[in-house]
Amino acid sequence: MFEELLEDIAQKNGLREVNAYVKLAAGLGAILLCLLSTGYIAPLFIAVILTSAILILARVDAKTYAELFIVPFGFAIMSVAGIILITGGQDIFWQWNILPSFSLSITRESINQGMFIFCRVIGGMSAMIFIALTTPMTDFFIVFRQCRVPEVVIDLMMIIYRTIFILIDQVIQIYHAQVMRLGYSTYRESLRSFATLCGAAFIASWDAGEDLIRAMDARCYNGKFALLGESRPVERMPCFAVVIFLALSATVVIVSGSITII
Amino acid sequence: MSSIILEARDIRYRYPRGMEAICGISFHIRKKEKIALVGPNGAGKSTLLTMFNGMIRPDSGLMLFDNQPIQYDTASLRMLRKRVGFVLQNPDRQIIAPTVYQDVAFGPTNLGYSETEIKEAVNQALRHVGLEGFERRPPHQLSGGEKKRVAIAGVLAMDPDVLVFDEPTSGLDPSGSEDIMELLDELNHEGKTIIISTHDVELAYPWADRAILMLNGKILKEDIPEVAFGNPESVRKAHLSLPTLLELHMELQKRGFLLKGKKPRTVLDMMHCIETLFENSKKPGRHGIITVCNVDLDNGEYLSKWLSMHTGICTGAMGTRAKQCAENLKIHLDFTYGVIDKCILKALLGEDTLILTTGSMVKRVYLRVDAYGLESGVHIPVHPLTTPEESNEKNEGIS
Repeated sequence: MFEELLEDIAQKNGLREVNAYVKLAAGLGAILLCLLSTGYIAPLFIAVILTSAILILARVDAKTYAELFIVPFGFAIMSVAGIILITGGQDIFWQWNILPSFSLSITRESINQGMFIFCRVIGGMSAMIFIALTTPMTDFFIVFRQCRVPEVVIDLMMIIYRTIFILIDQVIQIYHAQVMRLGYSTYRESLRSFATLCGAAFIASWDAGEDLIRAMDARCYNGKFALLGESRPVERMPCFAVVIFLALSATVVIVSGSITII
Repeated sequence: MSSIILEARDIRYRYPRGMEAICGISFHIRKKEKIALVGPNGAGKSTLLTMFNGMIRPDSGLMLFDNQPIQYDTASLRMLRKRVGFVLQNPDRQIIAPTVYQDVAFGPTNLGYSETEIKEAVNQALRHVGLEGFERRPPHQLSGGEKKRVAIAGVLAMDPDVLVFDEPTSGLDPSGSEDIMELLDELNHEGKTIIISTHDVELAYPWADRAILMLNGKILKEDIPEVAFGNPESVRKAHLSLPTLLELHMELQKRGFLLKGKKPRTVLDMMHCIETLFENSKKPGRHGIITVCNVDLDNGEYLSKWLSMHTGICTGAMGTRAKQCAENLKIHLDFTYGVIDKCILKALLGEDTLILTTGSMVKRVYLRVDAYGLESGVHIPVHPLTTPEESNEKNEGIS
């Protein structure tokens, strides 16, 4: 089980005090530039910058970051391998005709295409992880409200956010209790244990839901969920840094658009 | 005698498809009282508590708040719940919002306060429970004691007259429990009526003004703690245990020691009892001086200097702000709960002590020491810690 959640890292990261909009601008802008780019260098450039920002500025543990990256990395490798083999082209390096109408080949074009997509994935992923690791959910709620997301949706999100951690806690406790009494020891047993775990978690969350209503009533609930805190002020330095980063990346996108790997 | 704030007249309640949880209870609670509802599990304590703010409506009988029967329509219930704050046993169930600030702001927001009023109320509540600087933390990262404090702050932000706590110390470590109990004392001192339910006799005995012993949905005994817990028969019937001090007192009496005065509620009382027994043998040369420092006066610098002049003095802190101040100034605290009594005990041994506390609690030190002096005939000097300038001003004023 995840003992340390992304959210906990985000709450403690070095860029916590930077205004959420600034961080979102950097992350979303980077994703957009990755998508607009036609060459493989720009996404790679973005990935390098954002990764160093995560590791140095946000002071996220390198091991944690690598662990986060490993799953999408695996997916990217597999799909890129597929793309390289399937995409055709003129300049053929290697070819295998399995069926008369279908053949696998490695060509100059397919390698370029594969590399381009792979770098895009890396760039996009680092931007996503940058947002996830530097901006805690609690800051997102403020952004959502300012972006006029309906109140009901935000209230629901906040209740879900709050209860998710309680539920996870409970599930971990039940799971441990099961393991201690030799649940999950055989395949059959683990199926049974998992079913009881789900059942117990369901009942626990139902109970918690009823208590939630009671707790809200006891504090004069009147349709208004908690007021949001204030967002951090926009400071000049981070703002400046983000603008420079985006401008630099955009330049790289334009300049390196036609460069291919081979 | 202050006026009655909560009253129950022969209330009964039966859970749907269940046994009768409350079978005919009548009592009243006065303003500014500290009440402990004590009883074993399943005695109906929690059910009774939830009636105080109208969460459960009794099947029959009458609940009165401020001498008015409780109305169960939405508007009246809201008013009632604003004035009767309820802190649940499990803070995880009470904390709703994703950050501490939002959670404490929940009540005031729903009461329709303006944004500045909300901020003011939240800051004050957080200051009260000593959680300044926790505003943006998510509750799931807090410790049990901190969560409890957030839950209490959430209720305090609505500024209720009556505070109801269901098992306020369950799941907390001993020092955390003492902290919470002291916070309750502080709140009571500011004029709030406090009702707690507990099955911890040792906790309720020295704290409460009045104890209500409950068993099987009925009141077994309702009196001052010395009497309520003083009858071994009823205590045994309620599946509770005698407070150690009371038991000791009773055992000493059984062995023919003539213990004068009232029954002891604190170690200090007990010491007094025993010392009066051996009056001739005790010869204290001089009593220690208790110095009281009001940390609200912002005299940290002088305090540090004073402490460096009086090394080895025993120091105690009362109240969350005083404890924070001690932490900031890196003052080692010998006592963090039951401070006044422990300082009196030290003074009786001839040792000087220092109490750090906040404005509203300073008076309490004097009151307690005076009360002890009246009872025991021992005069213990209590001095405020004043900076040289202040004492000069005073002298000038006199001359």
